Amino acid sequence: MSHAGELISAYLDGELARHEIDQLQAHLATCGKCAAEMQEMQSVRSAVRSLPLLELPPGLIPEADAEVVPLRRNKGFLVGAAAAAVALVIAIAAIVTPSTPSVTLEELNSRYGARASLDPAFGPAKVVVPDLGDILE
Amino acid sequence: MESVPLTWEEVARVYGRKIYNFAYRLTGNSDDAADLVQEVLLRVRKGLAAYQPGSFEGWLWRITRNAFLDEVRKRNRRPTAPLPDEVDRWDMASSPSADVEYSRISIGDDVQKALLELPYEFREAVVLCDIVGLSYEEIARAVAVPVGTVRSRIHRGRKLLRESLT
Repeated sequence: MSHAGELISAYLDGELARHEIDQLQAHLATCGKCAAEMQEMQSVRSAVRSLPLLELPPGLIPEADAEVVPLRRNKGFLVGAAAAAVALVIAIAAIVTPSTPSVTLEELNSRYGARASLDPAFGPAKVVVPDLGDILE
Repeated sequence: MESVPLTWEEVARVYGRKIYNFAYRLTGNSDDAADLVQEVLLRVRKGLAAYQPGSFEGWLWRITRNAFLDEVRKRNRRPTAPLPDEVDRWDMASSPSADVEYSRISIGDDVQKALLELPYEFREAVVLCDIVGLSYEEIARAVAVPVGTVRSRIHRGRKLLRESLT
């Protein structure tokens, strides 16, 4: 091997086969020029990789924004808001069909309240009020 | 085995930011980067139905790269000129915006500037490797060149960066 050349970058990127790594390491042990280049390439590579990963401009991808919102909100707020939404569904159900005996408030709370407490995505931004007929059947 | 995003929304969520950073590091211009993200996602939306399981990363970044080069062609209105020169002219044309970005983002100013000074093929290879995080094989698929060419471009790009930064 005359000089290591592009094997250096490939080594830093984990793109060399085992025998190439052995070959390179043996060469670096005897070639000060390539050893110095290895250090320089490592430094340059680190500098580029240290560039900050920029955030997407707000509104560029609405779906991505929607996914980010829950992460930035207070978890307690989400649970509370979800519980309020569930309570609203239950209240509407009770008002619209006050005499329906096939479902109880406890059953509704169990079915939807459990999801609200376990699923962080079940927050106010994504609450879909279930079809009352489905709930009360 | 590589997992394949199933929906456009998942692609947008998982890769949108990477595509934006890819474009920003190639151009130094946030508006151009934002335009590219939207164009790429539009193409992904159209193309997902026909996507054949395989290297999703290679497929996605090939679309991204082609969209980027198409945007360059549109802006320069010189479709017959050599592509790398076109890209570099686009960068020159967008330098005032890039300057604004430099003042806004203080970290890595000199590195970003050095990146923009690289010939396009080297800049693209370095960005796909060090910013996007693709393997040489994935870059080769995206750019449609042999892996050995990718290896060479990345190393030569880094050597030029070193010269700019010292």
